[in-house]
Amino acid sequence: MRLFLILAALVLAVSSASAKEKQGCFGTAVDFVDTPKDAAKQALKEEKLVFVLHVSGYFEDPKLT
Amino acid sequence: MGALTDEKLGAYINDNFVSSYQKVGTFKIVGNNKQGGNVASYFCSPDGRVLHAVAGPVDAATLLREAKWVVDTVKAANKASGSNGAKFKAYFRTAHADKLKSETGLVVSAVTYDFDDKQDDKDTLTYKDPSGRPLSLKLPPPPIDGPDVKLTDAAFNKLQGKANEAPGARYASCGVGLGKKNVVVNNQAVIDQLLSAHAMMKIESLYGTVFENVLGEKVSTKPVDVTTPFTWVDRQGNKASK
Repeated sequence: MRLFLILAALVLAVSSASAKEKQGCFGTAVDFVDTPKDAAKQALKEEKLVFVLHVSGYFEDPKLT
Repeated sequence: MGALTDEKLGAYINDNFVSSYQKVGTFKIVGNNKQGGNVASYFCSPDGRVLHAVAGPVDAATLLREAKWVVDTVKAANKASGSNGAKFKAYFRTAHADKLKSETGLVVSAVTYDFDDKQDDKDTLTYKDPSGRPLSLKLPPPPIDGPDVKLTDAAFNKLQGKANEAPGARYASCGVGLGKKNVVVNNQAVIDQLLSAHAMMKIESLYGTVFENVLGEKVSTKPVDVTTPFTWVDRQGNKASK
């Protein structure tokens, strides 16, 4: 039983770590998911709204973001 | 990086929104330099309907203020409309018209009903790009009726002066005949004007209008590409090696 619990805890830790890695903030304070579709799915699950950034080029310009 | 590096803004966005990005439009490369580029931020419902938008780069305080407006208005709209989608849409469009009035002193009539005029994909008169995809729409904003008549000249001029200091300030005409006059609008005012008639439309129906008509950028006729916009850092924020 104890072994099972330890294994379950390990699996949970690994899966949450990989989920965390999927999130990216690209040096900003905002966590971005990969696509707006993923954002919509997650937002529905978490009862949140969706924030979508549309950009065209020249992101090195700090004035943009 | 600017607004999005702000911790307070980031915390608020992360608490209330799930964020993502898309690359739209293009930029020119002249010699070794990139020219152009712009940004538009959309606050949407989970089914991709646009509740609010911010056109162009803004500071953290402005983006936070607009994000809070969306969250507060969604709460109020939910309370007022119950589970009625049509009432929710009407509430939101009216809220945009009210926001325009309080920020610039200008009045537009919110369009609270959409008649069904879907384009037929097989219709030979439907405009499409060379690859066969329909072109992004150019949605007409509702006309500006004129200044809020409840305002004194001094109060209206004060609001107009404030509007003139915001990004994208320009003249727009309002009224008809002898009453026609020029008033000051800015990017945010034009967004509120647009959304007082088109809020709760799908983002793919709105982004072309925002990017081309509000920001003056050219949207690529290619489909929206999902790419990494922050080319100089990886997903964890580490500086990318060249």
